[in-house]
Parts: sequence; C-alpha cells; structure tokens
Amino acid sequence: MSLLEVRGITMRFGGLTAVDDVSFNVDQGQIFAVIGPNGAGKTTLFNAITGVYEPTEGSVRFRGSPVRLEPDARLGLRAAMVAILAGLSAFLAINIQELWSVGIAANYVLNQPFPWGKAAGDALDAARAVPFAWGVLPAILGAGVGAGTVVALWQRSRRTPDLIARAGLARTFQNIRLFTDLSLVENVLVGMDSRMRSGFWTNLLRLPSFSRERTWTEREALELLEFVGLSERAHEAAGSLPYGHRRRLEIARALASKPAVLLLDEPAAGMNPSEVVDLMELIRRVRDRGVTVILIEHHMKLVMGISDRIVVLQYGKLIGQGTPAEIRADRRCVEAYLGTEGEG
Amino acid sequence: MRRVPVPILAYFAVMAALPLFMGASGLFYDAFQAIFVFSLVGLGLNVVTGFTGLLNLGMAAFMAIGAYTFAILTSDIYPFQIGFWWGILATVAIGAVAGFLLGAPTLGLSGDYLAIVTMGFGEITLDVLKNLDAVTKGTQGINPLPRPTFGSWSLDLQEERGWYWLLLGFVLLAVLAVRRLERSRSGRAWLSIREDALASQCMGIPPKLTKMIAFATGSALAALGGALFAALLSSTGEPASYDFQVSILALCIVIVGGMGSVAGTLVGAVVMVGMNSLVLVKLADWAGAAGVGNASNVLASPNNWKYLIFGLALILVVRLKPDGLLPPRLEGSAS
Amino acid sequence: MEWVDFFLQQLITGLSNGMIIALIAIGYTMVYGIIELINFAHGDLFMLGAFLALTVLGAFGLGDWSGASAWAAVVIMLIASAGFCGALNWGVDRLAYKPLRNASKLSLLVSAIGASFILVNLGLFWGGLPMDVFAGGVAAAAPKDFPALVPNTNLLGDDSLVQFTPKDVLVWAVTVPLMIGLTWIVTRTRLGKAMRATAQNPVAARLMGIDTDRVIGATFLIGGALGGFASVIYSLYNNTISFQMGYRAGMDAFTAAVLGGIGSMPGAVTGALVIGLVRSMSDAYLETRWTNTIVFGILVLILIFRPSGLLGSRAKEKV
Repeated sequence: MSLLEVRGITMRFGGLTAVDDVSFNVDQGQIFAVIGPNGAGKTTLFNAITGVYEPTEGSVRFRGSPVRLEPDARLGLRAAMVAILAGLSAFLAINIQELWSVGIAANYVLNQPFPWGKAAGDALDAARAVPFAWGVLPAILGAGVGAGTVVALWQRSRRTPDLIARAGLARTFQNIRLFTDLSLVENVLVGMDSRMRSGFWTNLLRLPSFSRERTWTEREALELLEFVGLSERAHEAAGSLPYGHRRRLEIARALASKPAVLLLDEPAAGMNPSEVVDLMELIRRVRDRGVTVILIEHHMKLVMGISDRIVVLQYGKLIGQGTPAEIRADRRCVEAYLGTEGEG
Repeated sequence: MRRVPVPILAYFAVMAALPLFMGASGLFYDAFQAIFVFSLVGLGLNVVTGFTGLLNLGMAAFMAIGAYTFAILTSDIYPFQIGFWWGILATVAIGAVAGFLLGAPTLGLSGDYLAIVTMGFGEITLDVLKNLDAVTKGTQGINPLPRPTFGSWSLDLQEERGWYWLLLGFVLLAVLAVRRLERSRSGRAWLSIREDALASQCMGIPPKLTKMIAFATGSALAALGGALFAALLSSTGEPASYDFQVSILALCIVIVGGMGSVAGTLVGAVVMVGMNSLVLVKLADWAGAAGVGNASNVLASPNNWKYLIFGLALILVVRLKPDGLLPPRLEGSAS
Repeated sequence: MEWVDFFLQQLITGLSNGMIIALIAIGYTMVYGIIELINFAHGDLFMLGAFLALTVLGAFGLGDWSGASAWAAVVIMLIASAGFCGALNWGVDRLAYKPLRNASKLSLLVSAIGASFILVNLGLFWGGLPMDVFAGGVAAAAPKDFPALVPNTNLLGDDSLVQFTPKDVLVWAVTVPLMIGLTWIVTRTRLGKAMRATAQNPVAARLMGIDTDRVIGATFLIGGALGGFASVIYSLYNNTISFQMGYRAGMDAFTAAVLGGIGSMPGAVTGALVIGLVRSMSDAYLETRWTNTIVFGILVLILIFRPSGLLGSRAKEKV
C-alpha cells in the first residue's frame, strides 16, 4: 500500500475541467514531482488533495483511509441536542410571557420564601394548556430546523484542510502565505498547533502544563528555524523577511506539525541559481527527516536533480509518469513540456 | 523576550491615582465609569475583531444579554436573588454561551455576511427585550439591582470612588485575561485566522472552533460590561440603551485605539467615550453658561453637533492614524 | 373570498415597499461590488434626498397640489433629489473613502460610519430650516409631514377590498424603468464594462487603461442617484420623513443586498422583494412587533443554507 493514493481525481469549475481523471501513488520516503505547463492543473490538484477544494469526482487515500468525517454517534448526539434546544427555544419564545406570569410573577411575594415546587407545577400546567399550534407545532418545527442545520453544516465540513493537515499532510503555497504580522517563531508555532494540548483554561489560568508546553514548543520552533537557516531573525515579523527567506519560513512552518507528507507548490519560483541549489539541499534534508515530499516545480534542474518519481500533467490530464530518466525519454512528455519550456 | 507592557502599566497607575486628585463626586466619575464599562466591551470586541478579524456589529446585544441576565438573577423583584458576585459569574457564563450559540451556525460565513448577521442579532435582541415585557419589564427596565458586597460591607451607589475602583479592577482582570490568551496557543490561533484564514486552516487550525472560542470570549466580556453598566445604574435601563449606536461605539473604540492592541483599546475607550460623555457635556455646559444654548435654533445647542463631531473625529483618525492611536507592536521586536 | 383579497393586499404593499428597498439596495451592492465597502452612509444619503425633495417643494410654496401640477412637482423632485444624492455620494467618496483606497477594509468602514454620522447630523440641522414645510424649523428633530401629492384613491374602484393606488403606480413607474436602464448601462455600455472589469480586478483594469478612479466615482454617482429616486418615492408613499429614517431604510436595504448575494444587482432586487414581502406578511398575519425578528431570522436561515446569498456566486479563493 502506498502512503498516498490519488484515484481518478476530477475537478470541474462550471464548464472547465481543470483536472481530469488523474491517478497516481506516492510511496513513503520519495521525493515526488508534479510537472506540466502553466494552467495544467497542478495547483488545483494540490488543492484537491489538501481539502481546499472538494474534488468533483475521485478520492484521495492517505495511509489507506479517505481522510473524511463519517456520520457517527457524535453527530447524532449533536443533532439531537441542538434539536431539543431549538425546539425548546421556539416553544419558549412564544410562551415565556405566559409561563413567567403564571409560574414566577403570580407566586412571588417580596421578602417571602418562594414556593419553587408550586411555581414549577403552575408553569408546567400552563405549558400543557398551550394549544397545539402555539406549542407543540413550533417546537417540532424548531427542532427540525435545528437538526437540519447541524446536518447541513456537518455535510459542508466533512473534508476540510484542517482535518487533512492534522492527519499528516502539510503544504506550502504558490504565492507564499505567511502570517506577516506574526514573528517567525510564532509562524512556526502556529504550524505546531496540532501537536499542542493546552486548552483555553490552561492558557487563561496559566496552569503548570502551560509553561511546560511553552518550553518545548518554543525550543522546537527555534530548532526548525535553525534547520531552514533563519534562527537569527526568529523574533522579527515574517512580513519583514526578504522573498527568498519567506519560502524557507513556509517550509519550517509546514514541518512544524511533523507531517508525513509535505506538499511544496513551486518552491523555487523567483529564486536565483544559488538559492535553488540551497533549496535542493534543503528538500533532500527534509526527505532525510523521513518526510515524503511532493512538489510542483517548473525548474527542471531542480526537478530532475532530486526527484525519485515524476508525473506530467497537460490540460488537466496525466500524460506520463516515471523516473526522471524515463520522463526524459518519453517523447510526449518532452514535447508537452521540456521541449518548449525546459531549461536544461 | 518577555516585554514589559509599559503603556498598560502606565494606564493603570494613572487611572488608579486619578480619583485622589478629583472630588468625591461629579461628572468625572460618570465619564470614567462609562469609560471602564466600555473598555470591557472594547476588550471583548478586540478579541473578536482585533485578534480574529471577525467584524461584529452586534456587541450591544451581548451587553444587553449581560445586563438582563444579571438583573433577572439578582433583582429583588424576582425570586432568584443570587447576589452580586454570583450574578456577575453567571452573567459571564451566559454571555459566553450566548456567543457560542450565535457563533455555531454563523461563523462559517465570510466577513460581511457575518457582519450583517451580528447586526441582525442586535436588532433581534432589542425586539425580544422590548416584546417580552412580562419578563424584562419593557421600557421600565428591571430595578433595583443589588450592590456589591465585601463581607458585611456593601458599596453604596453614591460612593463614586468605590465604583470607579471596582470597575477599574474588572478592567484590570479583563486585560490580564485577554493578554494571557493573546500570548498563548489560543491567541496565536486567533491571530493566524485574521492574518490568513486559509493558510491557518491548512496548518491544522480548526477555523470554526477557534472562531467560536473567540466569539464566546468576546461576548463574555461584553456581557460583563453590560452587567456592571446595569449594576452602576441599579437598573437595566430601557432596551434602547443597547442599540446599534452602542455596537458602533464599541467598534470605533477598537479601531480608533488600534485593532488587535490591548493598550489601544483602553486608550480608544478613553478617547471615544470621553468625547461622548465628557467633552460634549462640558461644551453644552459652557454654551448654557454663555447663554447661546437657544432651544429655538437647532445650531445653537452643542448637543446637536454631537454626531457631526463624532463623525469628523472618526474620519480624521482613520485618515491620519490608519492603524489606530496605539497599534499593536510585534512581540519581541520592540526592545 | 375575503382572505384572497387580504392576501393580495399584502402582496401589493409588500412588493411596492420591496421595490423602494431595491433601489436603495442596488446602491449598496454596486459600491460593495466595486470597492468591497459596506457604505454605511448610504441610508443617510437617502434620508437627505427626502429632505431635499421637501425643500424643493417648499420653495414652490405649500399650495394645493393636484392634477398636472402635482405630477410636475413629482418629476422635478425626482430629478433634483437624484442629482443631489448622486453628487453628494460622489463627494463623500472623494472626501472620505478615496484617500483610503489602499488602507484596510475596516478603516474604510469606520470612515463610512463617520460619514453616516455627519449626514445624520446634517439632516438634523436641515430639519431646523425656518420653512413652512419644516413647520418653521422649531422642532428640528421632529418627523416632518410630506405633502400627499399623489392621491390615495383606489384605482380598482371604491368597492374593491384590495387597495391599488396611484402611489403603487408611481413606485412601479419609477423603479422598473430605472432598473431596466441600469441593467442596460451595466451590460451594454463602455462604462458598464469598465465597472465590471474594475469590480473583478481593479489592478488588471488599471493596467488595461481603465481609469478606475473615474469608474468608482461613476458608481457612487449612479448608486447615489438611485438612492435619491428612492427617497422621493418613499416620501410620497409614506408621507412622513425624519432625519433618523436613514438607519432603518439602510438596514433593510443592506439586509436585502446581503440576502440576495452582495455584489449582485439582480440579487439585491430579489432580496429586497423578499424582505418587502416578509415584512408585509408578518405585519398582517403575525405581529408587527416581531417583524424585525422574523426578517433577520429568515436572513440567518437562508445564509446558513446558502452562505453567499440567494443569487450570489461563491467566489473560489485563488490559492
């Protein structure tokens, strides 16, 4: 079984088919490249894999499982609770005035002990006396709308990027998306979020586990910045970094979640030749940490130099796959891409 | 690396000392008690809008929920009468739950759609308060409300200094809470959503849950502000005291002060509420004393210039200080 | 069948009110579409349009308006208010929004809130004008009566239980041609093309030689003018105006724009008709005091199931 299996992914936007029935497997420990001319659907494919888009057809399996929420008892429980709450709210919204008057106002005398039992009984009697159309009916309608809302919202969030990131697929973006007002360390710490355990109350009350977690996460964030060579600027704002460094920070942030797979979207874009050499080195070191790397890249020297396997996309279709040597020997692939745009 | 929050410390030092130089009563106290109440609301909105980037135009609704929850649970016209301190606790809890419940179905909406939903929530809350008059006493409001007690001693309504320091104490607590959250995993998650919602989600931050926690935190603080506002007046006042203008005032406090800046929010509250309840009132007094406050001419009464001055001030602030008076500074970068 | 008549009546009222809201909502949605700003001042602009109309009327004197002279006055007011509101909206953009084109969306929003406050205050002062139409301007803040230039006679005959009056005719005779004209401008003219291009991608539009500042200015002008038209027919329909009416009207219109899918003009009209209908039905069959709650409750429900509004297209973020 491969680590990541892409099976018949198709992405349509209106009439446009951006990705057309693409399948491939990525094995553990590989550096895997997706190449193709501009507009071939590479980034769209990444978005479909990482849950940014829901594929029109096809599926992605990671470690043999489709990373996707299935209907379970918790959903049922949540729907039931919301239904009860919404039904009760609908009933009370209409009848609270009456129940309050009968139960509380009528029984309460200033400075006298309040007869709680009698009040509850009176209110219950009043509630039972409410005619069907103003009592049971709105309650049922409210419950239905409540449960429907829960299911509708759940349906829309079955395969979201955060779920996939937490499962172990991290990514970078073609047009770098850092948290520019946060410092470098904080950027990495956000990436580490899925490994943190401290909750709201721990943070608010500064329980002992808070400082324990802060210590190890900050240490590890600094180590990651060291790994990509940015530790000197750890406390500067990410927005102040020069372009070349931003890619590295994005990689550090993505690695912070200890992913099994790292997806890099054109990591060498806009880099000069010496930066590209450094980047190749960095990607190899990432692989050596045990992270499987999938990358989209136009830079042929980089792709041919480090990839274990390559797939070629054209007009959304997969037109070839194999080792760098095999791709070089495949006339269709060369014509589609290398022949026109390759730079050696 | 731990930066000492100098502006915040200075603020509390100055504020705590101020009453020592003022008389025991007067306009000063009305203004600053209002400033502190709105500081709480502003701090709450700063979590929602400043940190998390969610535009909330219905903060007044959460103030109202706080005020009425507190009033129903503590006033002696109803049997619950759980007392001041339990009332405050219950209010904060119910404020948080209300924020959570509003957020649950709506926080998937993007920016301006969420804004209109929060605005609508504000309208609905007002209508409900007006219409359920058997419970909320309609325009009369619920009163009287209990005074805070410390052991056997209780704070009298006329004790302006005591209320001043009590409210300042609540602001201090809120600032501590908000800063602790800001500089932790929770706060980082909020900020990451504001900076880039998609990137944040792709880093494994669950957007809805994170936003809901921000919403609940903000609502709890606004509800606290509402409860104290009511306690201060010993009445909830009429529902219209929590109308859209109040939500806008809260928003202006946060933006004028500097989005995402705790110190900025405190300063924003002083500027915006101070202008409303100190400067304009003073102007009216002077005009009255000088004899220009002529009822038959609309231009003569300074009170009629209120909105104009307010509006001009807003436009000038965003023009001249687009990041607010005290924008947030990056942790560690300021040394 | 009495209930049929009753229902038809609510339908007419709802649709007429909806069409007035629609004109205001288009102003919101056009501005939002092009600079992503909730133009808070738009409702108050509408309010000032009504004050201008009343002033124009007052300048002619508070005579006995009837027949042809009444209709002439209506036309004059329509033109005056539309021109005034268009120019004012353009001016507000120049002074309060244009300097902030590169600032954050929230700064822009605060500027709009500021502009809204200023316009409200101007409305208050305006009500203090010492003119007969403003009751001498003594009680500046009080609501003003707007003369009933358009009669309230029933066109379906006095026996009919359904009221269909010249007021309704006026609403439809003004709004429908305006909407057709606007659709023509947006889909067929150079300006319309430039507007759509700027809305989609201002940077690219500028690179293609479109003067985006002029296009944005034109958008404010047109949106404001529509608000001006709306203010006159609103005043003639309801016969009372107040300097605070901009808030309610703006809220309804903005809700309509969002309900329909903000940025979409057919969406704004659809949303406005839905809101007009929900309002009149709720007023008639439930209770007036719960109408706002019902309107917003329906808005929230629709947005939960259609997060981009009824006719809005969900823009896929470019990643």
